[in-house]
Amino acid sequence: MEDKLVEFANLLRQNGVRVSLAETLDAIGAAGTTGLENRDSFRAGLRATMIKRASELPLFEELFDIYFSGLGEIIKQAGQAVQDALSMSDQEFQKFLDEVEELLKKEGQKLSEMAKELLQNRSGQMEQRMRDAARAVRVSGIERTIEENYFARALARELWLDKIEQEIRELREQIQKLDFSDAMKAKLEQYLERRLKALDDIIRRYVRMEREKRDMRAREERKLSQLGDKSFYYLSDEELDKMKEAVTRLAQRLKNVLAVRRKHAKKGRFDIKRTLRQNLAYGGVPFKLRFERRKREKPQVVILCDVSDSVRNASRFMLQFVYSLQDLYSRVRSFVFVADIGEVTEHFRNNDIREALDTALKGDIINVNAHSDFGRAFRGFVSDHIGAINKRTTVIVLGDARNNYNLPHDWCLREIRQRARKVIWLNPESRNTWDFGDSEIGRYAVHCDMVEECRNLNQLYRVVDQLVVR
Amino acid sequence: MFSSIENVMEQFAGQKYIASRRIATVIYLASMLKKPVLVEGPAGVGKTEIAKVLAQSLGHELIRLQCYEGLDEGKALYEWEYAKQLLYTQILKDKVSEVLVGAKGLAQAVDRIAQEDEVFFSERFMLPRPLLKAITSEKPVVLLIDEIDKADAEFEAFLLELLSDYQVTVPEIGTFKARQIPLVVLTSNNAREMSDALKRRCLHLYIDFPERDQELAIIKLKAPEAADKLASEVVGVVQSLRKLDLKKTPGISETLDWVKALTLLNVQSLDQDLVSETLDTIVKYEGDVRKAQEELKEYVRRAKTRRGSDAGSAGPGPASDKDLLN
Repeated sequence: MEDKLVEFANLLRQNGVRVSLAETLDAIGAAGTTGLENRDSFRAGLRATMIKRASELPLFEELFDIYFSGLGEIIKQAGQAVQDALSMSDQEFQKFLDEVEELLKKEGQKLSEMAKELLQNRSGQMEQRMRDAARAVRVSGIERTIEENYFARALARELWLDKIEQEIRELREQIQKLDFSDAMKAKLEQYLERRLKALDDIIRRYVRMEREKRDMRAREERKLSQLGDKSFYYLSDEELDKMKEAVTRLAQRLKNVLAVRRKHAKKGRFDIKRTLRQNLAYGGVPFKLRFERRKREKPQVVILCDVSDSVRNASRFMLQFVYSLQDLYSRVRSFVFVADIGEVTEHFRNNDIREALDTALKGDIINVNAHSDFGRAFRGFVSDHIGAINKRTTVIVLGDARNNYNLPHDWCLREIRQRARKVIWLNPESRNTWDFGDSEIGRYAVHCDMVEECRNLNQLYRVVDQLVVR
Repeated sequence: MFSSIENVMEQFAGQKYIASRRIATVIYLASMLKKPVLVEGPAGVGKTEIAKVLAQSLGHELIRLQCYEGLDEGKALYEWEYAKQLLYTQILKDKVSEVLVGAKGLAQAVDRIAQEDEVFFSERFMLPRPLLKAITSEKPVVLLIDEIDKADAEFEAFLLELLSDYQVTVPEIGTFKARQIPLVVLTSNNAREMSDALKRRCLHLYIDFPERDQELAIIKLKAPEAADKLASEVVGVVQSLRKLDLKKTPGISETLDWVKALTLLNVQSLDQDLVSETLDTIVKYEGDVRKAQEELKEYVRRAKTRRGSDAGSAGPGPASDKDLLN
C-alpha cells in the first residue's frame, strides 16, 4: 500500500501539485486510519492530507479515479468483454469459470501462474502482476503517443506473453483430445482465444492510460505559460475570462504586500515625552506606556485608461485590473479616455465587472469612436479633475500614446506630475515601435517616473513587483 | 474520542450538524492523527460551526481566537501584566529593602535583586491569551483559530511552532508543552493564500455550497418549524441564485435566516412580492439585489409553467401521458 501511495504522490507531483514528503507520510497514516473498505473515506483521507489548494481538487479527483481504479477497471472491462463475446449471463459465466477451474486443476499443471490467473479471471492478482511488470520496464516514463507501441511490447515481454500464448495453444490441443461434448469444446476454444486477446488489450490500454496521466499536466502547463506571455491583442474571450482570475490574484497580492508594510509602520517608537506626561499622575511611575502613532497612509491611485480601438483588448484587460484594484482599495479613481475623458469610478463600484467593462467600452460615458487624442484628454483632466490628485496620489496611465498627430500637450502631464507622488505609464505596445509614426511616448516619458512596456500578464507581474519593492 | 467515521457522523448529527462523509473523515483523521485541520470555503457554509460542534460533541471546552489584521503575539499568546508587576513591587517595597540590607554598593544590590527576578517573571504575572490557554489547559480542548487569512503573514509563521509540536515558547520562562493535545481547527475565507509551511502541517478540508438535497436536510434539522413546501422552494431559489455571478453568494446561514424569517411571517409558499420584500436577508449588496430580482422573475415564471403542466397531466389521467409521448 505504501508503495502505491508514494507512487500516487509522485504522480501528483508530475502533474504540478506540490506534495511534500511529510504530506506523503500523513497520507500513509490517513490511509492506515481510514482503512480501504470504504472508498469515499479513503479518498477523503488522501484528499485532506495531500491536496492543500482548492484549485487542485479537480485534478486530484481525476487522478485518483485513474490511479486507484484505472487498471482494475480495465481488467474488469476486459473480463466483461470476454463474457459478452461468449454471450453468457453472469450466472452462466460464473458456472463456466468454475468448470474451467476444474479443468485447469486436472490438465493445467504445466501452466504458469500468470496464465492460470488469466484463465480464472483472478483480477486482483493480475493487477498486482501488471503493476510489478510496469515498474520493471518503467512505463511511468512514457511521454509521447509514439512510444505507446514500444512500451506495450516491453510490457508484454516482461509478462512473458509469448510463453503464455504457447501454453494456451498447448492447452487447446490438449482439450481437443479430451472427452468433452463438441459444444463444450467449441466454447472452451473460443474462451481461450478471447482471453489471450483480452490480455493484449489490457496491456495496450494500460500503457495508453499511463501516457494520459502524464499528459494532463503538460497540457495544462502549456496553456498557462502561454497565457502569461501572450500579448493582450490576441486573447480570445475564454482566455480573457481566465485572465480575470489571474488579474484578481495579482491585485490581491499587491494589497497583501502593502498591508504588511502598513502594519510595520503602525506602531511607532517609544514616546518618552508623552509617557512621562501621562504618568505624572502616578508619581512618575510609568504605568502606561505611550508610543508615537503613525498616520496610516492609504494608497491613493488615479488611473487614466485609454480605451480607443487601437488598444481595445489591452484596455479591456487593463480595466479588469483597475476594477479589481478598485474592489480592494477605497481610494482608487478611474478615468477612461479616447479624445474626451470621463470618470468611471462610481460606475465600477456599483456594477459587476462584465457590465462595468461593457459600459466603459461601449461609449456611454465618452465617445469611443473618436480618434485618440491624448493631448486633449490630458487637458480635459487637468481642467476638470486636477483636484483628484494630491501629494499621496499615484497616477497610472495606460495607453499606447498614439496621438494621431494631434497636439500632445505634454505640459498637462508635467502639471499632473508636479502635484502627484508618482506618475507611471504602462504601454501595451512593443518597445520597438515606440516613437515611430504618431507615437508620442518619448515626449510624455520625460514627465513620468516610470515607463514600462506592459503587453502581457508576465510583464504586468513584473511591474507590480517593482511597484511593491519601491 | 470518536470510535469511527460513522461515529463522527452520528455525533455531529446529534448536534444538528449534517456532516458529509468527507467532512467526517477529515475530523476523524484529525482526532486520530493529532493534526490541525484547515477549513477553507466560501463564507456561510458552516466552517466555524464545525469547531463548535466538534467541541460540543466531545464535551470539550472551545477556545476561540478571532484573527484580524494586526493581531500579534501579545493578543494571541500571552502578555505580561505590567501593572500588576508594578503594584507588587510597590506593596513589597519593605521586602525589597530587606533583601538589600547589608548590600555593599550598587553592583551587589543589583545582583541580589537579579537573584529574585524570576518571582516577577513567573506565570503569576502572565496574562494567558487563547493560544496559551489552550496549551496549558488541564482538560482537552478544541482550539478554533477563526479567519486566519485576516491575520498577517508573520502571525501565520508564529503559529507554526504551535501547530507542529503543540508547544509555545515564552522567552522569560521557557517552553510550554501541551498537557493535553488540543484539537485545532483553523478557518479561512481564502482572502489570501496561506503559506505552504502552514498548509503542510494541516489536514485540508474544502467545504463548498451544499447540494440541493443536503441543503434541504439542513433546513429540516435547523428550522423544523418551516413548511416542507416552503423549504424546498427556498432551496430552489437559493440554489439558482448561487449560479449567478454575485458579489456575495448566499451561504447556508443566509438560507436558514431566510427560511426562519419567512416562517416567522407565517408564509407557506413563496410568491413574487414576498420574495422581493424579503430578498435583503439573503443578498447583501445593492447590485446583487438587482441581479437577483431579475433571476427570480425568471425562476418564478419557470416554476409556474412547470406547475401548470403538472396540473394538466394529472387531470385526464394516464391517457394524456401517452399523448405527450406521441
